[in-house]
Amino acid sequence: MKDWELVCGLETHVELSTKTKIFCSCTTEFGGEPNTHCCPVCIGLPGTLPKLNRAVVEYAVMAGLATHCEINPNAKMDRKNYVYPDLPKAYQISEYDQPLCQKGYVELSNGRKIRLTRIHIEEDAGKLVHERGNTLVDYNRGGVPLIEIVSEPDIRSIDEAVEYLEKLQMIMRYIGVSDCKMQEGSLRCDVNISVRPKGSDKLGTRTEIKNMNSFSHMTKAMEYETERQIDLLESGEEIVQETRRYDEGTGCTEGMRGKEDANDYRYFRDPDLVAIRVSPEKLAELKARMPEDPQARFSRFVKDFGLPEADARLLIEHRRIADYFEAAAKGTKNPRAVANCITGSIFARLATDAEKEEFRVTVSPENLNALVKLLDEGKLRMNLLKSTLEKMLDTGKPASEFLSEKDLAGVGADDLRKICEQAAADNPNAVKDYRAGKEKALKAVLGAVMKATRGRANPQEAEAILSEIMAG
Amino acid sequence: MVTHEEILKIANLAKLSVAPEELDGLTKDMNEIIGFADTISAATADASDFDNINGLSNVFREDTVVPSFDREEILKNAESREDGYFLVRRRR
Amino acid sequence: MGKYGKIARLHELIADKKISCTELTTQYLAAAEKENAALNAYVKTTPETALETAARVDAKIAAGEAIGLLEGIPMTLKDNISTKGIETNCCSKILEGYVPIYDATVWNLLKRQNAVLLGKANMDEFAMGSSCETSCYGGAKNPHDVSRVAGGSSGGVASAVSGNLAAYGLGSDTGGSIRQPASFCGIVGFKPTYGTVSRYGLIAYASSFDQIGPLTQSVEDASLVYDAISAQDPMDSTSSGRKELTLPSLGNSIRGKKIGVVKEYFEGVRPDVQKALQGAMDVFRSLGAEIVELSMPSVRYSLPVYYILACAEASSNLGRYDGIRYGYQTEHYADRNEMVCKTRSEGFGAEVKRRILLGTYVLSAGYYDAYYKKAQTLRGTIVKAFDDTFGKCDVILAPTVPMTAFPEHYAAKDPVETYLTDICTVPVNIAGLPGISVPCGFGDDGMPVGMQLLGPKFTEAALLNVAAQYEDAARDTAFRAVETGVAL
Ligand SMILES: [Mg+2]
Ligand SMILES: [Zn+2]
Repeated sequence: MKDWELVCGLETHVELSTKTKIFCSCTTEFGGEPNTHCCPVCIGLPGTLPKLNRAVVEYAVMAGLATHCEINPNAKMDRKNYVYPDLPKAYQISEYDQPLCQKGYVELSNGRKIRLTRIHIEEDAGKLVHERGNTLVDYNRGGVPLIEIVSEPDIRSIDEAVEYLEKLQMIMRYIGVSDCKMQEGSLRCDVNISVRPKGSDKLGTRTEIKNMNSFSHMTKAMEYETERQIDLLESGEEIVQETRRYDEGTGCTEGMRGKEDANDYRYFRDPDLVAIRVSPEKLAELKARMPEDPQARFSRFVKDFGLPEADARLLIEHRRIADYFEAAAKGTKNPRAVANCITGSIFARLATDAEKEEFRVTVSPENLNALVKLLDEGKLRMNLLKSTLEKMLDTGKPASEFLSEKDLAGVGADDLRKICEQAAADNPNAVKDYRAGKEKALKAVLGAVMKATRGRANPQEAEAILSEIMAG
Repeated sequence: MVTHEEILKIANLAKLSVAPEELDGLTKDMNEIIGFADTISAATADASDFDNINGLSNVFREDTVVPSFDREEILKNAESREDGYFLVRRRR
Repeated sequence: MGKYGKIARLHELIADKKISCTELTTQYLAAAEKENAALNAYVKTTPETALETAARVDAKIAAGEAIGLLEGIPMTLKDNISTKGIETNCCSKILEGYVPIYDATVWNLLKRQNAVLLGKANMDEFAMGSSCETSCYGGAKNPHDVSRVAGGSSGGVASAVSGNLAAYGLGSDTGGSIRQPASFCGIVGFKPTYGTVSRYGLIAYASSFDQIGPLTQSVEDASLVYDAISAQDPMDSTSSGRKELTLPSLGNSIRGKKIGVVKEYFEGVRPDVQKALQGAMDVFRSLGAEIVELSMPSVRYSLPVYYILACAEASSNLGRYDGIRYGYQTEHYADRNEMVCKTRSEGFGAEVKRRILLGTYVLSAGYYDAYYKKAQTLRGTIVKAFDDTFGKCDVILAPTVPMTAFPEHYAAKDPVETYLTDICTVPVNIAGLPGISVPCGFGDDGMPVGMQLLGPKFTEAALLNVAAQYEDAARDTAFRAVETGVAL
């Protein structure tokens, strides 16, 4: 697509991880026998009324704060009317013209900001199962709270679309408002897509691909749809504005018929619900509840812990992992070793993104911390670190269970003195500076000692010996 | 004037079927009712926008699970069901 | 207790063991059985639950326990109030066979006080109508003249209470559906401030207008029942509960009170109805109140504003009747979409379909601004006009209906002409205010005339007291008992 540019915006549905549904007290637990997580309210029995879950509003505002949105001080709920068996009231309670959050953005690694039009709260529909032409309806998922995050058409490549969605996933998980499991449908998106000649600033006719529920499907669907649109335009045909479905089997997108004819949702304010007012005090309270922004945490990991950017990026992707790292690195002289333990042995045991998000690890951060401190103290030789950690991961037991006296012998006192003497001899300038009163010069020589002992030396001991030698 | 086509479009949105023999009468009724509704076009309203009728805000429920209803109760009033689902047969 | 409280009188009879609760209930059930052929007030009776409750009350009395004022009193509920285990179908074919699995909050409150439910009362289908004749069971008749309608939409409750087939009943009022039939049947009908009584379990017609309230034979009874059912309800986000109990304020002097007479309310009112209202004004003057003449031009837009907004909400509220989860489902269809369309077309009556279509129309793309949005702004204007008017008076006095009870089938002739008869009742629903209809005499046709008294929001106590003072002074000329039913 040399002469064509992709223009894409995403509508992302994120299921909030509240305990109860948005308008009733039924559980939001995934699965369950059909129609067992239901009550008169969420199956829309005549006479029932919705009551808004406080946590839904709070989570949505937090999602807005985490994506730099303006929070609407005066929001309301509206009805979106359409008749479909998965919608027991024949309307979805959503937000139309006064959504909770507006005008935010998500920043990509290339520095581009993908603007967010809005984030609003709404209820999920039930699930339909089609069998021999019959329709079976399960309302367990009906009324589960969602936020819909709508982006501007700022995305210019498939890679950007994937990164944008990954970023959203990370942010929502970070602030704890959703587990964003694509395979359970708690993260899904509709892709609005058009192409235009490179350099043009006019928007082409777009199509909307519905309900992408995995990154790989999204990539394939976008690839197919971009090519299809370019082919049409290059052969002088027109794009029809329509909703399309991605077929996982064929890898193609196809137009959806039927649902189109009744596309007049007749939105109006839901008279069963009252205004949502987010006061400055409430906003301050929610801001205080927000965890550190992942981007800020990334910078801190690089700066304060001296981690390479690539490692830092891996660690901050999931909040539990970043928290684990910080706990395990606490007070050690060797945060990079902690990071390597996590991105090496531990990640090797967590195959999927979902497992990383859950981050079930047998070794507690305290035990990892203790292990790395053995390195700090020169008791443990570096080459034993990995094998010890593996044993700890296998059993969940602390390092002390697996290390013999000999393992923990570190570098002997005589050997250490010899190494120190050699290091001082190798750095005459540092010795001269030290004698001239520059105490910092000792650190350079200490570095050489640690290098020579591959970290096995006890730094306090080595420092004591060095200061003796270098003082002359 | 509301046309036959508009009546059919509105009926489709409202999921009501209109038999051909009903169409004339219904269009006449609707025109009369909409003509009556049109009397507000002459009215001048003051700028004050109308919020909700009782002026309440922030009425929330706490996020605490209450046991759901027995499935038997949930499905009790349904015309058809199968394996714990509400059932819509393909045709009847 | 006042002179005219029916509930208090029955309570005394039971509490003093002059009659057992079971005996009283049996009398009412027998009367309902006998008179219903003529009045069609009940669409079903519930003798088992009624007698069960009565026996419980009798046991309490036998054990020497004190009983509450509403305990053991036979009553009825409009058929749009959900009753667990008892079919509730809004007098619509589309809810044929629907048995709620939960209780409406109001019924829950009364049930806990051992109210004796005699049966479910007739109504216009989904509360859409002014004559009760859109009911799938046919209309309820007026006990004062069975060739006339009981009014609507709470016609069954009005007919039962007026005809002594229930001591009191609960109805719902969206555009006058409590006050209008009360006026037609010569009883008291009270529509409280929006939000004071929970709507949970009331099958919705128009959510921002609907309000449950009592139909009774006296103001005191209305006060008693209102106090029992007005409570903040966690199940209803729009519920605020009452500000104060009303019963303690009945009996206060109304000397010096300003009674506003808004001239727009009297346009097109039948002369004999006007005359009855003039008489009521004289009574108020004699009680030391002052009549002040006022004007509210925006009230003239009430009817179209009401029909646009109420039908818009109704079109959405009634979307759920698709034959899948409850109620009627069509016999034959080719696919799912046809099933839904046929179910709805066969299940809903003509008036309900008309209102769904109007509501869908005013919300649809291209018409929203001219109708729905404009009407919503005018609603704000009318709210403000009432605020201004209540700066100049304490209560507003108005006719309830510009005429007396229609003859049968009057309503069927012309939908718009029928809508026009709601002219005096809808403004209160638009503004969410409390309004009460009290009998104030008779028309030239001998039928009861109702007077409306309206107050600012949450002033139920003061409003009911004004009504009670009037009733005290004028009961003998304004009210006529009907000879049917239980004569206690
Ligand atoms: Mg949506
Ligand atoms: Zn529920």
